[in-house]
Amino acid sequence: MNASGSGREPATLVALVIAPAPLGSAIAEELRDGLQDVAWIVAAGSVAEAREVLAGAGRESWIGVVVLTSGLGPIDALVDELETDPGLRSAATLLVTDRRVHDDLAHAIDRDRLDAIIAVPWTAGTLATHARSHLARWMHEQHPDDLRSRALVTHGGRPLQRPHSELLRGLELDPTEVTSRLLEAIERVLGPRPRLRLPVGVRLTHQDVGVDAVLVVLQGRVALSRTTEVGEVLLHHDSTGPVIGLLALAQQRRAFFTARTTTETEVVHLSLEQLDRAVSTEPAVGDALTAVAIRALAERLRRSEQLQVERIRLNRDLEDERQRLATALHQLEQARLELVEQARFATLGELAAGIAHELNNPIAALRRAASYVGDDLSTILTSHPQGELVTRAMAAARDRAPSSTADDRAKRRALIDALGDRALATRMAAAGIDDPAEAAALAAQDESTLVLVEAAAGIGASVHNLDVASARIGELVASLKAYARPDLRPTEGVDVHQGIEDTIRLTAHRLRGIELVRRFGKLTPVRARAGQLDQLWTNLLVNAAEELDGSGRIEVVTDQLDEDHVRVRIIDDGPGIDPEVLPRVFEPRFTTKHGTVRYGLGLGLAITRRIVEQHGGTIELQSEPGRTVASVVLPIAGPPDDRGS
Amino acid sequence: MQLTVLVLEDEPPVREALTRDLGGFRDTIRIEAAEDVDDAWAIVAELDADGDRLALVLADHRLPGTSGVDFLTQLLDDPRTVHARKVLVTGQADQQDTIRAVNEAGLDRYIGKPWDPDELTDVVRDQLTEHVLEHRLDPLPHLRALDAARVMPLLRDRGDR
Repeated sequence: MNASGSGREPATLVALVIAPAPLGSAIAEELRDGLQDVAWIVAAGSVAEAREVLAGAGRESWIGVVVLTSGLGPIDALVDELETDPGLRSAATLLVTDRRVHDDLAHAIDRDRLDAIIAVPWTAGTLATHARSHLARWMHEQHPDDLRSRALVTHGGRPLQRPHSELLRGLELDPTEVTSRLLEAIERVLGPRPRLRLPVGVRLTHQDVGVDAVLVVLQGRVALSRTTEVGEVLLHHDSTGPVIGLLALAQQRRAFFTARTTTETEVVHLSLEQLDRAVSTEPAVGDALTAVAIRALAERLRRSEQLQVERIRLNRDLEDERQRLATALHQLEQARLELVEQARFATLGELAAGIAHELNNPIAALRRAASYVGDDLSTILTSHPQGELVTRAMAAARDRAPSSTADDRAKRRALIDALGDRALATRMAAAGIDDPAEAAALAAQDESTLVLVEAAAGIGASVHNLDVASARIGELVASLKAYARPDLRPTEGVDVHQGIEDTIRLTAHRLRGIELVRRFGKLTPVRARAGQLDQLWTNLLVNAAEELDGSGRIEVVTDQLDEDHVRVRIIDDGPGIDPEVLPRVFEPRFTTKHGTVRYGLGLGLAITRRIVEQHGGTIELQSEPGRTVASVVLPIAGPPDDRGS
Repeated sequence: MQLTVLVLEDEPPVREALTRDLGGFRDTIRIEAAEDVDDAWAIVAELDADGDRLALVLADHRLPGTSGVDFLTQLLDDPRTVHARKVLVTGQADQQDTIRAVNEAGLDRYIGKPWDPDELTDVVRDQLTEHVLEHRLDPLPHLRALDAARVMPLLRDRGDR
């Protein structure tokens, strides 16, 4: 039965020799001696020639081993050529060479394509042995069920794969087996050694103390630990090894570890003198001891390598964790900044509400006083000889329509022309007399009449100014109250335009010098936290004003986007926001390329966005030189989180 | 030739109050009021045509269009106004604006709103006196608006001529 299990004739197993003629025949001859029971030996001068020979054979070939020689060009090139052929790619490759140095096989080594290197001349028979064992391995891997696989494993009655030397064999044995062999060998020299039975917790070596003996552990387990500045650290338990104290011999006979039994333990005690005698008398003791030591070292090395890998992984985890913490800290800091800003605004709001409330009384008093002064004066004047003249002058000044300073001057000039006296004309004009005929009539009267008219006009103008000023304070107070209203819950029917007007009035000092254009559409009242919306308009207007720096134009455009949404756009014709900065203006705080922190813009817009989002709306900022548009869309239904509450 | 005080203020009640508080100077000094910078320049042209002299400007700092500080700076570039003394009357200037007014416009005084009428007239009298002294004008026609004690030496000198 062959590997494929079909009834066809089994494939021919081939050992291929690629070499120049004389060396090639020598190699082929040796291989025939050792392999002809299982394999067909094909010799060729090149890879191409070998392929031809195999193709001509007319049946399937399994090429298990290829023997190359130096003298066919660079080894790397040769191996690369083998690689291109699927039939040759998996074959074991042996290099026979008469050169002392090779610098042409780095690639082959790197790719693990050279299985053995044999120098010319070789000891007769070794080349065949090599080839056979590689062929056996190849068969075992590629065609484990083929009958020839088994035939190859034994040759001359001895398993091919077992090492000859005690040491190498010892390394392959089961650890308990090696230990018992060691002890057997020792006892052949020293006679039977007493077994010592120890309970848990017995120290077999002491850290940093001299070691005079080794202990061979036959049963039970021993832990190795060391006291360090971070306390006692357990370093080995599974990787302790069966001979305690052996490695201390390589460290000036000082124990690096404290060894302590962790189970009931059976040990054999050997002083260094006894060990020395056993090793020097019986070579098997040395081999077994070396095997034990190498195995123990290998165990510990592996463990230390695992620890190294573990350490790198932990470091990486630690770094990840550190990054996460840094991110969290950053977010916390931003949140704190926002809270501070919010708190500041809330405090300002309370203050504004308080001021507004407190101002109401003085305003009321002012307005009433202005009206009382007028009334009382009228009463007094009824008994005054020139009462009618004075009342008329007073009323004229009080009710005079506002006019520009240029108009005032033109009227005064007419008076100067009529009266021919600049000082007198100026007094008449200041007293509100602008009809030249009336002025001439008054000029004809004595000085005291003019003084009386001037005083009356002064009172009239003052009463008027009191009215205007108190009305203006009244408007400001109303805006302040609206602006500062607390917003625990959204209210229905908020007039967006009213909020914008209040904000414009209260930020007038920031908007001076700027042309403000309102293009208001018809808007459905919205459900919203009106105070927050005021803060929103404030931030957007002040940002636009800062952009303009004292001159320019801001348009406030409102429209009903659809039946569920209103839209407010605040457009300025300022220099625009740096395109590099634009994507980040909604971050709470960011640093510009000049290294300065644009705190106001950043935080202001961050809060702006939060307010919009809390209302279930969206905000967008587009900017180019000469046109920056902040566009806010708000749902009429208001904040989604507590809708209907 | 009359010395002139120009009041530049956009809010009518404030403008009226300022001119009224300067009423004591009216017989001696020409008082003019402008609501914006354009009108202020119109007044400068009128003064020039009338042969009068701009001696002092009282300007608010926030005005529609050009700011008061800008106007005060512009005065330095015009031969008709370069000698005028400059006082900022405002309730809103922040430190930055004040620094700019002092450094760039050669501001002489600063009066905060609301003002004290006595302080206002003192400042105006003082500034007019400085103006007369600085340019060695004949104090006699303006004497009632000036600090008589300070201009006395000037009077004597002129009398000696």
